[in-house]
Amino acid sequence: MNETILSLEDARLVLEGNAGPLEILKGISLDVARGESLGLVGPSGSGKSSLLMLMGGLERATSGRITALGHDLTALDEDALARFRRGNMGIVFQSFHLIPTMTALENVAVPLELAGAANAFGRAAAELVAMGLGARMDHYPAQLSGGEQQRVALARAAAPRPAIFLADEPTGNLDAATGEAIMELLFGLRDRHGATLILVTHAPELAARCDRVVRLADGCIAGEDRARRVKVAE
Amino acid sequence: MTLPVAVRIARRELRGGTRGFVVFLLCLMLGVAAIAAVGTVRTSIEAAIGDQGAVLLGGDAEMAFTYRFATDEERAFMAARAAKVSEVVEFRSMAVVGDGETAERALTQVKAVDAAYPLTGEMVFDPALAPVQVFAPADGIPGAAMDPVLADRMGLAIGDRFRLGTKEFRLAARIVREPDAAATGFTVGPRTMVRTEDLAGSGLLEPGSLFDTNYRLLLPEGAAVAPLGREAVAAFRDTGMQWQDARYGAPGMQRFVDRMGSFLILVGLAGLAVGGVGIGAAVRSYLDGKVGTMAALKALGATSGTIFAVYLIQVATLALLGVLAGLVLGAGAPILAAPLIAGALPIPVEIGLAVRPLAEAATYGVLTAALFALWPLARTREVKAAALFRDLGPGRRVWPGWRLSAVLAGIAGTLVAVAVGVSGVPELAFGTLGGIIAALVVLTLAALALRWFARRMGHRARGRPALRLALSAIGSPKEEATAVILSLGLGLSVLAAVGQIDTNLRASIDRDLPEVAPSYFFVDIQPDQIEGFLARVKGDSAVSRVDTAPMLRGVLTEINGRNAREVAGDHWVVRGDRGLTYSALPPERTEIVAGEWWPEDYAGPPLLSFAREEAEEMGLKLGDRVTVNVLGRDIEARITSFREVDFGTAGIGFVMAMNPAALQGAPHSWIATVYAAPEAEAAILRDLATAYPNITAIRVKDAIDRVSEALAAIAKATAIAAGVTLLTGVVVLIGAAAAGERARVYEAAVLKTLGATRATVLASFALRSALMGAAAGIVAVAFGAAAGWAVMTFVMEGTFRFEPVSAVAIVTGGALATLLAGLVFALRPLAARPASVLRARD
Ligand SMILES: Nc1ncnc2c1ncn2[C@@H]1O[C@H](COP(=O)(O)OP(=O)(O)O)[C@@H](O)[C@H]1O
Ligand SMILES: [Mg+2]
Repeated sequence: MNETILSLEDARLVLEGNAGPLEILKGISLDVARGESLGLVGPSGSGKSSLLMLMGGLERATSGRITALGHDLTALDEDALARFRRGNMGIVFQSFHLIPTMTALENVAVPLELAGAANAFGRAAAELVAMGLGARMDHYPAQLSGGEQQRVALARAAAPRPAIFLADEPTGNLDAATGEAIMELLFGLRDRHGATLILVTHAPELAARCDRVVRLADGCIAGEDRARRVKVAE
Repeated sequence: MTLPVAVRIARRELRGGTRGFVVFLLCLMLGVAAIAAVGTVRTSIEAAIGDQGAVLLGGDAEMAFTYRFATDEERAFMAARAAKVSEVVEFRSMAVVGDGETAERALTQVKAVDAAYPLTGEMVFDPALAPVQVFAPADGIPGAAMDPVLADRMGLAIGDRFRLGTKEFRLAARIVREPDAAATGFTVGPRTMVRTEDLAGSGLLEPGSLFDTNYRLLLPEGAAVAPLGREAVAAFRDTGMQWQDARYGAPGMQRFVDRMGSFLILVGLAGLAVGGVGIGAAVRSYLDGKVGTMAALKALGATSGTIFAVYLIQVATLALLGVLAGLVLGAGAPILAAPLIAGALPIPVEIGLAVRPLAEAATYGVLTAALFALWPLARTREVKAAALFRDLGPGRRVWPGWRLSAVLAGIAGTLVAVAVGVSGVPELAFGTLGGIIAALVVLTLAALALRWFARRMGHRARGRPALRLALSAIGSPKEEATAVILSLGLGLSVLAAVGQIDTNLRASIDRDLPEVAPSYFFVDIQPDQIEGFLARVKGDSAVSRVDTAPMLRGVLTEINGRNAREVAGDHWVVRGDRGLTYSALPPERTEIVAGEWWPEDYAGPPLLSFAREEAEEMGLKLGDRVTVNVLGRDIEARITSFREVDFGTAGIGFVMAMNPAALQGAPHSWIATVYAAPEAEAAILRDLATAYPNITAIRVKDAIDRVSEALAAIAKATAIAAGVTLLTGVVVLIGAAAAGERARVYEAAVLKTLGATRATVLASFALRSALMGAAAGIVAVAFGAAAGWAVMTFVMEGTFRFEPVSAVAIVTGGALATLLAGLVFALRPLAARPASVLRARD
């Protein structure tokens, strides 16, 4: 077995809902190995996105322990988490979350700039070219199609060469063909850079491409399948 | 058709809370309140002046003369036309208590009346006596009444004696209320009231003394005052008669109220314009947040018209609320503060609810809200159902269609018309509105320039994430930068303008004070007293300078044989009577700039030296013939020289000086200024007043203080107006900051996801505010200066000087406030966990 790059021990998440506290994740324990691709599946509302947010340090666990690349995320403050994400975590969302006031190129350059990388714009441009967006660099998000926006988001996540990719239904807002292309790019990134990929998805054929699939139900891990023989419960 | 549906949907949306509309409501409320409050006070004062015109004036009409009583001809004119005539004499004098070393002296404005006084209204004395009882002699000493302030200062109790000139009086009552007090205008001392006949033998009111006479006329029932006025003016203007009638019972007050009222209303209008930008921004931001709802409604089959109606109904409902709140505040505040306001006014004013100013304020408010809210509202038509599935705002860069443009133009036109009508001063209203429009245009250009600059500089800032983030936010096609610069810039412009006016008014009070002012100004020195007077002061080592001049009054009636008003227009020199002097030699410190002074022993036909600046303004040349009416006698003199005269140093300055032979024969007195060391002032006053009881000494410092007080009142009014504008401005600034909060929250979350620390995010937000603040600030300083100059020059008729401290303080203050508001609103985005923000958008 490879070294563990990300590990959760009894991670719980309680959020304040309208009708009082709501236990959203009820003690998740999970280890992810370096270079592994992990699929997270489960019915809508089962807590997949929440779990991904915890892994990315975008959400703070109510209790439990989350360790990534040897750092205890639960012990880091907001800024330390942000610094940690630089170069370590690349995150892609279903709604792309590009910064609307920046062009594609500027969006991709931001994490590099924040990490203090030399030649941030050169690298950002190269990344966009690699995504097939060489002609779209100076477009603003609102001027791009959904698939293009997601490719920019992918480039932005990939540019700093993160060790871990987190993707939350990255094809959920796209048509099948475009989604397929995005997935190719995503798995291509993992293959080329040896990154770890954690992917939330609804699509059985995508889950099937992962090394391992974890099934969530109602905030708990309901099952786990190794290799490509999982039946995705929907 | 779909209206009921729209109403139902609008009601459901409003039920969800009006948080996004707080700024909208506040802006509208403050703007309407300011205008309503000013209008309410102004209407009350005008009503008081209108209702009590005759009482305030002391009669239906008044004929006034300077330094003389009416001639027999004039008296006959009045007697033939009026049912009743009352003669009132006004002059300054010294009230004296005690003798020699211990004598107590005070300058007083004496009002000497006859038995007919008052023709209108009632004198109120303490104790409550009738005028006859007050002035009746006791032990052969005539009675007098005094302003309580003066009586207290001199330590006079009822029954105590004091002197005016050489005549003894007995304090019979204190003055509680004088119905026609406002008719007197500016006075330098508190009032003493006596009977004119009792002044006989006092040495006051001698020929050549400085006094005014006012003849109050009560007209027979049904007699029209206007034609009588025209008749009187035609007959007696050239002998210096001034006409006034009850239509303008308190002309000085009326002019003051008019000017201040118009000015304050315009400040209110400007405030509302600032608020309008806030209203527009608030509506825009609220609607931006509703894009999802709109898209969903559209997807469910709502037409653009229905959606427009849904939001129009919401905005209209809230506008109504805002206007109502503004009216309540605007009418309520002056009524609550009525005792305070009434106490500050020289005439009794009852401040109450008035419909007209409230209707006007409401009209302004509704029109402004409509003007600024309709455009963003029109954008609701552009929202596509697709916005649901993509992160799109409402259509960007939507220009109003021709129909909306026509509506907006109509509203703007109505607003201008109402503003012009209500302010009563079209130039002022057009000026203000033109200024606002110009400011908006310049600000738009500044915003475009800044955005262009931000895009150009973006490359340079690469590698400095905070700065580059700020620059790309400003340079992006989202129009936030333009909106912020517009609202911030207009707010700061108005603030800077009011600040400039305020500091200029204050500064002009100080600036106009002469650096070396005389200690005393002496008037009513009789020609036979001048030698003794000079002997006393010239021999005193504490006296550094004495200027004396004979003084007469005359009306400049003709220039080269033609009516002076036709030649010189409405120049102040030909308006009413002017001071006039004579001198054999050019007075000391006088510079002859053209022509020559007459020979010392000249005795030919009258020659005249004119003040250079005034002569230029009136178009006079050397050799012109000028006719001056002095106490009923026409003197025609030839201009032989022009000289520089400084009227601003509280010294002696005359527009016209003649050779002695021309004027010496007319009755006149001398005036003198004495510059003395402060410690010697009391002794000089004592000696002179004892030797010449008829002489009046005006302490220049006291007179200046009175002027300062009057100007301070104006400054206070503008300061209050500035306060309201400031409040509106702050609301707009906060609104602008709040409007951007949603976008900020999102950006912060994304940036944090990409590895930005809170410090970086904060720095980028702060830089963005600072850059936009700087752009708005620079425009605001320029506009504040221009507007301040215009108002000082054309409205206040004063001089303008750019006050950098005020400008910088206001603009940095404004920029800091924006920054602060921006940071306060950035706290939530910064504190928010990215997950909660991003999830909401997923
Ligand atoms: N901010 C929140 N406050 C309270 N409950 C939330 C919040 N965000 C999500 N939830 C709830 O948490 C549960 C899990 O949500 P999520 O992780 O988004 O599920 P999934 O991605 O599997 O569809 C859902 O029941 C959702 O309603
Ligand atoms: Mg989800």
